[in-house]
Amino acid sequence: MATPLLGQRVKRKEDPRLIQGRGHYVDDIQLPGMLHMAFTRSLHAHARIGSIRVAAAKAAPGVVAVYTGQDIQGQLGWVPCAAGIEGLKVPRHSCLAIDKVCYVGEPVAAVVAASGYAARDAADLIEVDYEPLPAVVNPEKALAKESPVIHEELGDNVAFVAKLAGGDCASLEADKTLKVIKARFINQRLAPVSMETRGVVANYSPGEDLLTVWSSTQVPHILKTQLAIMNSLDEARCRVIAPEVGGGFGSKLNVYGEEGMACLASRRLGRPVKWIEGRRENLQATIHGRDQINELEVYVRPDGKVVGLKCSIIADLGAYHQLLTPAIPTLTALMILGCYNIPNVFVQTTGVFTNKMATDAYRGAGRPEATYIIERVMDLVAHELNMDPVDVRMKNFPSPDDFPLALPTGVTYDTANYQRSLKKVLKAAGYSRLRKEQERLRKKGKYLGIGLSTYVEICAMGPSSRMPAGGWEFGEVRIDPTGKVTVLSGTSPHGQGEETSFAQIVADGLGIPYDDVTVYHGDTFQVPMGIGTFGSRTTAVGGTAIYQAMGRLKKKMARIAAHQLGVKPGELVFRDRRIETEDGQKSIGFAEVVAEAIFAKQLPPGIDPGLHEHSVFEPSNYTFPFGAHVAVVEVDGETGEIRLRNYYAVDDCGRVLNPMLVDGQIHGGVAQAVGQALWEELVYDENGQLITGSLMDYAVPKAHQFCWFETQNTETRTPVNPLGVKGVGEAGTIGATPAVVNAVVDALKPFGVRHIDMPLKPEKIWRILKQGVRN
Amino acid sequence: MQAFEYARPKTAQEAVALLASEWGKSELLAGGSDLLSRMKDDVSAPQRIVSLSGVHELRGIAASARGLRLGALVTLDELETHPAVREHYAGIAQAVEQVGGPQIRNVGTVGGNLCQRPRCWYYRNGFGLLATYKGRPLVPDGDNRYHAIFGNEGPAYFVSPSSLAPILIALGASLRLLGPDGPRDLPVEQFFVTPKSEAEREHAIKPNEVITEVLVPPANGTKSGFYEILQKESLDWPLAMAAVALQMEGRRVEKARVVLGQVAPVPWPSAEAEEALKGKMVSEEVAEEAGRAAASKATPLSKNKYKVQLARVAVKRAVLLAAGLVKKGEV
Repeated sequence: MATPLLGQRVKRKEDPRLIQGRGHYVDDIQLPGMLHMAFTRSLHAHARIGSIRVAAAKAAPGVVAVYTGQDIQGQLGWVPCAAGIEGLKVPRHSCLAIDKVCYVGEPVAAVVAASGYAARDAADLIEVDYEPLPAVVNPEKALAKESPVIHEELGDNVAFVAKLAGGDCASLEADKTLKVIKARFINQRLAPVSMETRGVVANYSPGEDLLTVWSSTQVPHILKTQLAIMNSLDEARCRVIAPEVGGGFGSKLNVYGEEGMACLASRRLGRPVKWIEGRRENLQATIHGRDQINELEVYVRPDGKVVGLKCSIIADLGAYHQLLTPAIPTLTALMILGCYNIPNVFVQTTGVFTNKMATDAYRGAGRPEATYIIERVMDLVAHELNMDPVDVRMKNFPSPDDFPLALPTGVTYDTANYQRSLKKVLKAAGYSRLRKEQERLRKKGKYLGIGLSTYVEICAMGPSSRMPAGGWEFGEVRIDPTGKVTVLSGTSPHGQGEETSFAQIVADGLGIPYDDVTVYHGDTFQVPMGIGTFGSRTTAVGGTAIYQAMGRLKKKMARIAAHQLGVKPGELVFRDRRIETEDGQKSIGFAEVVAEAIFAKQLPPGIDPGLHEHSVFEPSNYTFPFGAHVAVVEVDGETGEIRLRNYYAVDDCGRVLNPMLVDGQIHGGVAQAVGQALWEELVYDENGQLITGSLMDYAVPKAHQFCWFETQNTETRTPVNPLGVKGVGEAGTIGATPAVVNAVVDALKPFGVRHIDMPLKPEKIWRILKQGVRN
Repeated sequence: MQAFEYARPKTAQEAVALLASEWGKSELLAGGSDLLSRMKDDVSAPQRIVSLSGVHELRGIAASARGLRLGALVTLDELETHPAVREHYAGIAQAVEQVGGPQIRNVGTVGGNLCQRPRCWYYRNGFGLLATYKGRPLVPDGDNRYHAIFGNEGPAYFVSPSSLAPILIALGASLRLLGPDGPRDLPVEQFFVTPKSEAEREHAIKPNEVITEVLVPPANGTKSGFYEILQKESLDWPLAMAAVALQMEGRRVEKARVVLGQVAPVPWPSAEAEEALKGKMVSEEVAEEAGRAAASKATPLSKNKYKVQLARVAVKRAVLLAAGLVKKGEV
């Protein structure tokens, strides 16, 4: 009897090829006659474009074509934005700047040449006359009357103002029994830094009238539709393939101008055109994440119960909207209450244009910011009321019986037990022992800090009513004549491991070996429809579609088997490559039923030949995974350096299909979250120059900087999908940042520290140690 | 990157003959970890690259009664893991341990570490070794958080980037150069010079000379230690480092050499720290005092006061490591 596959640490199907260097990425694609593209990018944050001299580039060896904004105007659609926010201002966003540039790194011209080197060298020969304009890089300054206006036609730099209110915050102001805590947090700008940069190969074949695009993307189907629109092609004439994708973290949930340009060049030249992004380009011109300023007022009862929260979010959107730019900070507002049922809430979100690269979805996308706000708030409440941060949280958690829980923010949390995760992580960490150790060390002048984060996130995106391009997902399962199974998914995993978990779902359901299942995704000609991979949705939504398609297939196979065995279809189970009655008395081989279904010799009446079912799953709600983390840090009193000594995580992502995949997601997510807390920061100077423009200056964390992460799970299944899975792709990044910051602030409590903005770089800490801070 | 000629000589003599007699025209390639990034950033654009990969005479570590002979092509990894180095020259092993990551240490060489160009971000962005724009120095008013805190009266503000130089100087090492007129020896300390004009270099090497070997005198019981603090705490450039060599009688210091790195345009010997240690029984307090003495004459720029503190801590911890009062990882 085989053990059920679901819930097992099954090894990843993806790994052998990746470990052996046999992954096939965009840059591995070589086509006959292929040309290479490079971009000339703006050196200015804000400038009018005068003349562009391209003669030297055109004359350079190997150059086939040079394009400027003027050359493509009207020939290629705008870079799309799909965010639907009332009153949103959407500036025109050309694939190549036309009369003005609005950020450093904006593409101004493209060169197509016989080799990548020739294209790059020629791009450097293009001379652009700029008339520099004053730049604005600080979003608060961009809101001032005297600020330069980035898009004159839009009047000012405000892209949108969105308000979210629940309960009645105004009434709290008169209540003198409440303590009011004010705070201002900065959530700094980050770079996603996927290992593989962006890349695209476009190949327009005039004979077939077919544009084939290989792109390092998370959303091949969305990209297909958008590229078809931009290039005025019918979607049937456009095929997008996402080959192996070396990470995205949200940055490839997008449609970029460079992708549009590769298509245009291939259409004009009738030859394949490749563009591979360099790392400096990646830091400069691939979307950034976070970048918010949060001003808060929190109303608290003397016993620690938080009754109201007011927040102003100033979201730095950068110069243009990418696909979902303005939507991201609205997720912060939606999740700002975290796992606390705070009855009164008011959030005003102001999206602001600045002379910087666009922000957009970066792992967590708006929710890490929300978690950071509310989890720092809980520690501030503890600080002000001189309570233990654990007690403040326990005081404000809803009871497990309160779920489903409708919050004043308008979302309804599905299921949770926050008390249980917190207790479990405190036990794992030895919390009371740590507090005693902290006391002991403080007396010796050593600074140990213990930080908590109890988070909830919004996942499994999502109901189509709330998603710009729909939130359903497509899945298909077919059984081939040999009895082997092919699974198609409209999602586009790029490192998460769903080739493995999808195969587990299907092998488990059909009672066949895991190795008999092959999963395909990422080719719009192979998979008829799909949304993609982002928002921790792939297994919860995409996996469910496959599960449902498999269910339909099983029904059909059971009818065929029942016909053969002379039993009712409902009496049959699928196990060990057989379809049989529960007691095993009547039994038929899986392969026999497959053969019967496909060769169709004795099918029962009303059954069509073939084993081929698909399903589109539309979720009725989001899911709300949650968890509790504890970070333990040591601060070097002489240098300000921070060492992460221990990290404990208890995460609840609903049902766990493969604990190894869940661990992997948590480990990677926590690492990125710690990166934000301690090291990472994209810095623009006041003229809009990106001064952290290479990996020498932008501090991506390395494995050896971390301690081992102690991870555990609790399982609270969701009723939103039949698998009971919630999603885990972003949990680590959402949960861990405030745990680390809370730990460092806790360590520095003897110095009167109440808050420090990220990243917590040693020099900043050393200055505090040296001077102390005023509250 | 511009096109270049590639030469792969078999002997050091042939390599010398392939080098141009003026700077900029030719470059030596050993591990390439510095040269290639300079070429990609268009900071260096040699017409000819002379690879040393075929020059086997430059390889190998020899430990004998005369001391340690390190071929210029010895990789940092070979150096770090060599038993004689680990046993008698702990400071060298500690200095190499944190250079870059394992991949960098596998290709980076002893000669290359001594000859690498400054990490100054103005220099790396095309403003020259002295970091000027239209004749005006950029460092004093600009972002100078990583620049010199000693010897920074100008025109040079960059810091010497070599992780090996401070400990080699503390141990009294010398190096051998081969040029068209034959070999010459130079104490490592004299290999580093502060350039006074853009035409000068920070190394006392001629354009057509090659470092062939480094000679470290016998340890004879000298205890050495090294400590550094990194910018980003990982695979990274140090903000401050200190190398310490102690000749000791029991716990008493007979003679001390203290050399700081990453704090001045050249490795920076600290007579003040050496004086503070001389004749003392090493303790936490004495180490602390040596650190304070080392930092006492620092002249930080507008944005790098933090480095003064780090220099002080580095000296203190390097002294404690050298004296064996703490182990690596405990400080």
